[in-house]
Amino acid sequence: MEYEPILPIRTIVFQILFLMVAIVIEAGILRQRLRLGFQTSVQYALVTNLATVVAGWIVFLVVEPLASASIREQIISYVLFDNLLVSGWTTRTGFLLFVCAIFVFFLAFFIKAKGLEFMLRADDTWKFLAPRNKKPVSRDDRYAKARGGASLTQASIPNFTDTVIQANAASFSVILLLLLLRAVAEEWTL
Amino acid sequence: MQNLFRGFRDEIKTLLEPLLPDKYFSYQTLLLLSLFSLLVATAVESTGDDNPWAVTLLTNLSWIFFVTTVWWALEEHPIKVYGFSISPWITGAVLCLFLFKPWVSDTRFRWALTCWPLISTGVLALPKFVDWELKLKNRSKSTNKTLVMTTLINLLLSSWILFHFRVQDWVNNYPSLLVGSFDRSAFVYDFERGREQQSQGVPLLEEIAAEVTEELNDQPWYQTERWLYTRRSRLETITRRAKESLDARNEGDFWQVEVPRELRPIEDGYFLDLFANWTGPTSRDGSFYVQKTCRILPTDRPRAVLPQTGTDATQTDEPPPTSRSTVVDCGELAVQRQGESQQASQGER
Repeated sequence: MEYEPILPIRTIVFQILFLMVAIVIEAGILRQRLRLGFQTSVQYALVTNLATVVAGWIVFLVVEPLASASIREQIISYVLFDNLLVSGWTTRTGFLLFVCAIFVFFLAFFIKAKGLEFMLRADDTWKFLAPRNKKPVSRDDRYAKARGGASLTQASIPNFTDTVIQANAASFSVILLLLLLRAVAEEWTL
Repeated sequence: MQNLFRGFRDEIKTLLEPLLPDKYFSYQTLLLLSLFSLLVATAVESTGDDNPWAVTLLTNLSWIFFVTTVWWALEEHPIKVYGFSISPWITGAVLCLFLFKPWVSDTRFRWALTCWPLISTGVLALPKFVDWELKLKNRSKSTNKTLVMTTLINLLLSSWILFHFRVQDWVNNYPSLLVGSFDRSAFVYDFERGREQQSQGVPLLEEIAAEVTEELNDQPWYQTERWLYTRRSRLETITRRAKESLDARNEGDFWQVEVPRELRPIEDGYFLDLFANWTGPTSRDGSFYVQKTCRILPTDRPRAVLPQTGTDATQTDEPPPTSRSTVVDCGELAVQRQGESQQASQGER
């Protein structure tokens, strides 16, 4: 079989760039909210993001051969020509893309949360973070919470899921912003 | 003379120095073993006796010795890029060559390249799991973390390689994609600038024109007119057949061949305009179509008549007995043009 000199260089460049952006943002949020060390949080962000990206690739590589001809046409058009609207924008394609985006977001969140939990358990830091593993909150604490001021112990244990979803949302937003900037820049130069 | 000979011998000695082991327990010994197995294998093969089993065994042994040599040698003299050892990837490459023999077929080549990062990870990880006596080792937490990270990065590399092959598959299955430019793509970069790709629409229309010529040429004119009257269904059948004969048959769905609504009259005959529209993915404002025109003309041919006895009849005003037969002329090659064909813009879909 003959191979054309067409290489996915841009995929690699963009992927590395977006991974770096996501890792920096997520590591910052993890460090701030979970009070992890600098190196640890970068490491966690790196591993969770890599896991997410690999999962995404596996899904793509499995789904693409199974997709129907029209969907494959759209995929090819988007990948090779940056042109998603072969047969015009319809409500159906819009809806489909929206559902895909939501699905991707929550899949990424799930993978990151599970991966982070796994790594925290491996490092024996999980028990310091998960409030449900601790003994039930004392009556005084609950009273203090009801009065508005969080007790000291609880203030140091921010909600783990909350942090992960915040980190995920932040990195997704920034990457989307970068993509948007790229689209705007392309329109500008034309 | 003696001196020259000695100098020559010394030269060879220094050349062979890195190959000869200082002690028996070293990678040079393995390298010599590998070469020895290869030598024996060629010897067995050249004896002419049909003994494929022995040859296979010996070549495999040679490969195993060679892979181990590379591993061992790189363990002793690691190759570092920015302080990071890339030895496992080299060993992995050699191991892939041995396991997949990628020169045999394209599928094997793909497998070899795709598995290369994963096998290299295995090469990297193996010494961390077992020691020289094949006993399980206790790993520290940081080693574990590094291993997880390396595995993930190598999975990502494999994904990129697979994606590359997927793109190659697309381009091979739908060669007319190459007509558009990939400049805007966010995923791939085309290293061949100014590619002058001919779309498959050209051979498609040529095939259709050849079939039309074959069906109509030398047919009586009245039959041709009937054919032209029912051209829609006729051309549909021909198109279906022509699409099957394309080099890349998957592409057939993306070609839409138009049947002309009006025939352009010329003298006594007609122009048959054939259009093939590319409906597949293209770059923005990069749509194109292929056009070809066939001239279908009647000619008067003298009918093969038996020589008649009465010569008077031919000398009257009546023309000699002729029959109108058809000449199809699809002279020039089909042309590929940018933009939408007129037929399509008229809403002839």
